[in-house]
Amino acid sequence: MGSSARSGMDRALRPISVFLDKLITEAVPHTVSSDRALPVLAAIGVVLLFSTPLLIGLTGTIAPAFGLMPELAPGNGFAQLLEDPRFLPALKLTIKTGVIATLLVLLFTVLALVCLHKTAWWRWMLAALPPLLAIPHAALAVGLVFLVAPSGWIVRLFSPWLTSWDRPPSDWVVPDAGGWSLIAGLVMKEAPFLLLAAAAQLPRLNVDALLKIGLTLGYSPARCWSRLILPTMYPRIRLTLFVILAFNLSVVDMALLLGPGNPPTLSVLLLSYVNEPGFRAAASAGALILAVGMAVLFVVVMLLERLIARLANQRRESGHRGHGSGLFRQIGKYLVLALTLCSILTIVALLLWSFTQRWRFPSVLPDTFTSRHWLGRSDLLLDPLLATILFALFSSIATLVAAVVWLEAERLGAVKKIDWLWYVPLFIPQITLLFGWQAASLISATDGLWITVAYAHWVYTLPYVVLILAVAWRELDPNWNNAASVLGAGYWKVLFRIRLPLLIKPVLQAMAVAVAVSVAQYLPTALLGAGRHNTLAIEVVTSFGGVDRRVIATLAVLQSLLPLIVFSLALFIPAAMQQKQRS
Amino acid sequence: MNLFPETLRKCMLACALVTAILLPTQYLSAASVDDSWADIVKEARGQTVYFNAWGGSDRINAYLEWAGKQLKSEYGLTLTHVKIGDIAEVVGQLEAAKAVGRDIDGNVDLMWVNGENFAALKRNELLFGSFTQLLPNTAYVKQAPSITHDFSVPVEGLESPWGGAQLVFIYDSAVTETPPQSATELLEFVKEGGRFSYPAPPAFHGTTMVKQFLSELTADKAALANPVAEADFDAVTKPLWAYLDELHPMLWGKGESWSTSGEQTRQMLDDGEVDIAISFNPNEATAAVKSGQLADTVRTYTFSEGTIGNTHFVTIPYNAKAAAGAMVAANFLVSPEAQARKADPEFWGDPTVLDIDSVPADMQAKFNAIDIGVWALPLASGKTLSEPHASWAQALEAAWIERYGQ
Repeated sequence: MGSSARSGMDRALRPISVFLDKLITEAVPHTVSSDRALPVLAAIGVVLLFSTPLLIGLTGTIAPAFGLMPELAPGNGFAQLLEDPRFLPALKLTIKTGVIATLLVLLFTVLALVCLHKTAWWRWMLAALPPLLAIPHAALAVGLVFLVAPSGWIVRLFSPWLTSWDRPPSDWVVPDAGGWSLIAGLVMKEAPFLLLAAAAQLPRLNVDALLKIGLTLGYSPARCWSRLILPTMYPRIRLTLFVILAFNLSVVDMALLLGPGNPPTLSVLLLSYVNEPGFRAAASAGALILAVGMAVLFVVVMLLERLIARLANQRRESGHRGHGSGLFRQIGKYLVLALTLCSILTIVALLLWSFTQRWRFPSVLPDTFTSRHWLGRSDLLLDPLLATILFALFSSIATLVAAVVWLEAERLGAVKKIDWLWYVPLFIPQITLLFGWQAASLISATDGLWITVAYAHWVYTLPYVVLILAVAWRELDPNWNNAASVLGAGYWKVLFRIRLPLLIKPVLQAMAVAVAVSVAQYLPTALLGAGRHNTLAIEVVTSFGGVDRRVIATLAVLQSLLPLIVFSLALFIPAAMQQKQRS
Repeated sequence: MNLFPETLRKCMLACALVTAILLPTQYLSAASVDDSWADIVKEARGQTVYFNAWGGSDRINAYLEWAGKQLKSEYGLTLTHVKIGDIAEVVGQLEAAKAVGRDIDGNVDLMWVNGENFAALKRNELLFGSFTQLLPNTAYVKQAPSITHDFSVPVEGLESPWGGAQLVFIYDSAVTETPPQSATELLEFVKEGGRFSYPAPPAFHGTTMVKQFLSELTADKAALANPVAEADFDAVTKPLWAYLDELHPMLWGKGESWSTSGEQTRQMLDDGEVDIAISFNPNEATAAVKSGQLADTVRTYTFSEGTIGNTHFVTIPYNAKAAAGAMVAANFLVSPEAQARKADPEFWGDPTVLDIDSVPADMQAKFNAIDIGVWALPLASGKTLSEPHASWAQALEAAWIERYGQ
């Protein structure tokens, strides 16, 4: 039986080689001079390492969905799926939460730009964003549940003195059946991401000049944004917006913690299938439907973009100046600040719970404190912490090496830019890729191995590292190189003594992002780890079922601390190095 | 060097296929059911036993950590607790492993199961074999129908008993004076503003709650002891659905949102979001009060006409890599020493499966010294209803999801 399953897999893998072949022909110039052989080889190694699991993963999902791997996944997956009364409601819920959350993220970003830019709050906001971005999804979700539940912190702050509630109200529950808790969590997690991406574009767009021109022509500041700045900015952040939409439609860990349970979102439903006897075909079919649905939504968004662009053009040409809508900007400002405050409160709530012995409704602060969750539970904290750090270390170093190899080959002209490739894992739902990867790892008996999980972390962190590093790598003045070479420095010396030190800031930032992404990975670790690699992300999600809120909070704080520390180091080290050079 | 892409094409194919082609190493596990205990203990030394067990309670996790240390020092084997959310996942993984021919060196050596999951493992021949007669400590195990039969399915030595359990309810006596004593009274209770939630099936506590309601409400109680296929499902369950239709709109979440686990209802009890928590451990309240998770005023009770009780077991999958080590671990878990610690709410508070009169006198004293506290319920102090046949769980879960899961 085993060998037939493998030959089925071999057959299914054949198209992969054809694709890889095309990919490489695209990236590698047709003639390769011999002094470039090494960089070409190394760069192709990176591309192969990166794209092979993507292709195997997709194949391992597509094949069972269409009944091509009957030993592993018997039955007609699509039929099984349609028979489940939960499927359609789950699909609807997924689209609803994903689309609304993405729209709200965009709205938040626009509001923050229009209402906060050029106010005293703007700098404060920019400083708050990176740490908020670093908070892992699971940790944020756990904190949010406690914040907004009927017995949660917000109600406690106002009870009973204002609300006269001696017991928690029973008017709403968290997580709610409509998916609004999940939407709130997604917005809190993703809005800083888009706003930071947008803020990074401001200097390039020469916003100050545009604002001045607009104001001189008599437009209100909000109109300056909507007519002048946003239309030029949107194309620069739309890829990020698409990444966010893809994430919102396929997220698993946050949906497990914040989403409705009955039915859950599609990805959570499918995750329960893949573990259920005889349901792998249905799981794979569902994962394909999710991927196709996502593609359809991308097209819808692109059509919407055109429509909006046309409307905006008409309005722009109308020349309406509008009155200074100061009130609108005030409201927008407070909305943005309130949401940011909520994010910060979730983290504070987690921190408090991690030091709580008893904290009953309606006390505003814990009734009794303890440090035993931190000091007395090394049995619970140390192993997951170590596992998390090892994956994060491996991811940040291995992705940095891979990214430098690729960008150097690109700089030397050995390979051409293929930026689209790095986006691929961000645009395919994680389950669509990982169900197949898991199937392949079962067949090849590589599931549960440390290196399998580490490999998956590498694949999911590399896109961020390459894309962050690429900007600085490509912009660095080639004269530095040339000057050093003229002085007789060899290639490696130039790389290690000139390029990398000059680029130390983006390099460390990219590594910090790698750590943050790796620390937050739940699904790859859960599906490929066979339960043997309990990182903090895994512990936070599984211990959520056991519900010792104090222990979960401690795990979540610990999980958040890692990226926060690394981001601080990424800021501190270059500054310290500069200081040292000056003195 | 124009041939570069050509050479690469071949490397590439090799690269792409390499993970798929790797074969599991082909050597046979040496343990078999004919070995003597001494041989098994000898073979177990140095083995790593992957124990797949629910990992949602950090007290249970801590207990297993302790068990691991004992096994290491006494038998030189490493017990690794693989924490999982639902053991049904592992049943699925074993089926997948069997489907792809991974018949040796499996990922799981020991697993914590009972009920429908055991029935599925037994039905699909995913079990190692009858092994409990080899374990010396089996001699201390109680002779009871709930131990020889797991949800009416004969155990036949395929799994080793680990602990007893009964559906119990926890309430706060400072908030609720007289908690409901039956399914019918529960309905009255929520009608009068009482707060209640049960986890949505197939969550374990939710399915058990539905079975409890069914056992109380159905006219044909005898049908539940036999496979569901032999019963008129619609007729037997009709009163159940009528009851749930009336109950659900008055629950926490109004029948649209559901709690996810029994443990969550305990947290909700402490938060005041519900008045009654559901547990399968008569001693859970004591543990929770002592660790600061419940108020001092909570009490545990069962319905006056009884609640569902059962036994949970550990078993060895057919493709276990360290079967000998798994047997040594199973034997240790059912030893008087391990069972006495497990029964103590200080550590876990899970009722023992041993016949306390049969264990050595010093261990008897240990059992008798356990103080379960006023918050808990002594085992067997409430009436016990037996579990419906294992096949009912899946049928009830599917019917429940069909009605309320969308």
